[in-house]
Amino acid sequence: MASSAPAPDATARMQLRDGELLATREILPGQWLQTYAAPWLSAGARAGQFVHVRTPDWSGLVLRRPFSFNTIDRIRGEVSIHFRVTGKGTEWLARMRPGERLEMLGPLGRPFEVDPRTRHVLLLAGGLGIAGVRALADEALETGRRVALLFGAATAAEVYPSSLLPDEVEYVVATDDGSLGHHGYVTDLVPGYEAWADQAFACGPHPMLAAVAKLAGGRDARMGVARLGRKGGGRVDPLGSTAARRKAWLQVSMEQNMGCAVGACLGCVVMGTDGPQRVCREGPVFAADEIAWDERS
Amino acid sequence: VKRKKSVVTVRHAAGTSRLIEATPGRRKATRARSLDAPLATSADVPAPRAAREPVDLSIDLAPARPGALVLVNPILVASGTFGYGVEYADVVDIQALGAICCKGTTLKSRVGNPPPRVTETPAGMLNSIGLQNPGVDAVIDKYAALWARWQVPVLVNVAGESIEDYVTVVRRLDGVPGVAGVELNISCPNVGKGGLQFALDREAAGAVTAAVRRATDLPLLVKLSPAAVDVREIARAIEGAGADAISAINTLSGMALDRDRRRPLLGNTYGGLSGPALKPIGLRVVYETAQVVSIPIVAIGGVGSLDDVLDYLMAGASAVQVGTALFADPQLPERLIGELTAYCAARGLASHRELIGSALPSGGAPAARRAKDRPSSKGAEYRP
Repeated sequence: MASSAPAPDATARMQLRDGELLATREILPGQWLQTYAAPWLSAGARAGQFVHVRTPDWSGLVLRRPFSFNTIDRIRGEVSIHFRVTGKGTEWLARMRPGERLEMLGPLGRPFEVDPRTRHVLLLAGGLGIAGVRALADEALETGRRVALLFGAATAAEVYPSSLLPDEVEYVVATDDGSLGHHGYVTDLVPGYEAWADQAFACGPHPMLAAVAKLAGGRDARMGVARLGRKGGGRVDPLGSTAARRKAWLQVSMEQNMGCAVGACLGCVVMGTDGPQRVCREGPVFAADEIAWDERS
Repeated sequence: VKRKKSVVTVRHAAGTSRLIEATPGRRKATRARSLDAPLATSADVPAPRAAREPVDLSIDLAPARPGALVLVNPILVASGTFGYGVEYADVVDIQALGAICCKGTTLKSRVGNPPPRVTETPAGMLNSIGLQNPGVDAVIDKYAALWARWQVPVLVNVAGESIEDYVTVVRRLDGVPGVAGVELNISCPNVGKGGLQFALDREAAGAVTAAVRRATDLPLLVKLSPAAVDVREIARAIEGAGADAISAINTLSGMALDRDRRRPLLGNTYGGLSGPALKPIGLRVVYETAQVVSIPIVAIGGVGSLDDVLDYLMAGASAVQVGTALFADPQLPERLIGELTAYCAARGLASHRELIGSALPSGGAPAARRAKDRPSSKGAEYRP
């Protein structure tokens, strides 16, 4: 509606419209997967972006609830979200029935940026963090890339069902109690894939992301990757730009309490190396080197 | 024969937000622009009353400066909830708003408080953004030229920690095209006075208002804090120091805990409470203030429906600001404008101005002959 020329980094414009619930299912204890008919969203949304949904007036809740796109089906005009029931908002959402409508504001935020040269995509998810990277599996497979998903959970009962993943995805599981797959953290599995992966994309609890970021920091040296650049040293892309993110080996999807979700209230910041960064606007996807990992955020 | 129910439609036929870039500066609107658009009428239905007698929602927030701050309608958006006006432009017709109060602006840039900065609470939310902003010069550079092309006036919200801070910021804003006025956030620590908020101290509130008044001829609003022991004193001091209008209220200090970590949830420990929980407090402050000042009052605090708007108007406010409710419903202000128009039309009011102060003991009589209710500082329940 605003007639300004789109910025070079611009993705699809946000819209405020309804989506109709098509299917709702409890895929894990307390975790729900819901599919909505929202062609206006699926047309422009990209993996890593999110939608801000409104709870009803009578709920007494004053804030919307943000959810990453779990899948984006452009052909059928559907998007899905995956959430855990943690409070009144998600409790109400879980009780919605097919046919009911949900007011959605989206698509919001900046998506994962996959380098055009990347052949092997590594996805890292901790628990519900799968909701943040799941859509990228589809996007990467569509463009002919190979995808490995390393998934970590507390116990076998919380492991994301492989039936909900495309067959082509290499799915590796770690559980804290060893009840399924690797006994330990999902981050333990990363060294085995760091040579294979051209790029990695992670979403999960803050300590997990910090640990992965630390691993990624030393990768260039271990792999013997030289940053010689082009003649004259090459162009340095500004931190946070799409071009810089596309070149980053590790991108992370961050989480924070959110207010407006359009960049107005400055409520959802995480501390970045370059000052506070809005998760809703500069994020939720960041290159790992944009985040100040040692500061609690 | 029963008359047909009035139907008023104020939404425009075509996207008016194209005006964001295209409209040449027209700062002083004389009547609600939304009423210029054709109203929804059908040929075989008699024109509803509203179409014959248009409702005038315009309101002058700086009567002492004729024409300086006449809003086309009394629905504003509150500082800190609407950024600089550009963030919501994709989904909100910002040119339909009465005015926009931009994010709090300080002399130097501020990085703000450590996260988390917001959390939801029963019937409200807490925020402790910490006045993150790029500083007044950057705000002017980045947004003033854009604001100057907008039809909707933009009030720059100003914060500081000394009188000199406020004066310097306001001097820089003075005369900048696109800045329609200034709203002072005086709920900031007065570093020179041991960090006590200006808004809690009658002398400091008067002094900062007077200093800013001397520095600019821009319309000047000053924002009351609900934490003041007696808001009437503060309001009188602000009026006496030359403010054009009072906005009331700012957030009320509160906190939340993170039970898993057994620590305060917000990075800054304390945050400002806003949302529906604040509405009765805001209403009380507006009601008390309206009995002691003659300048317009802009009500803020939990506005989420037409009922809230009417309550505030009847308690003595000339206009209202929508804040926290925007987060759930960005299009609420546009809808409130339509609903207020319909309400006035249905009751035969030529303007919402007829409602202002109608619930006061004086029934909205001139300030000099006002009957007064007892102040809340004497206790809410116990009557001597």
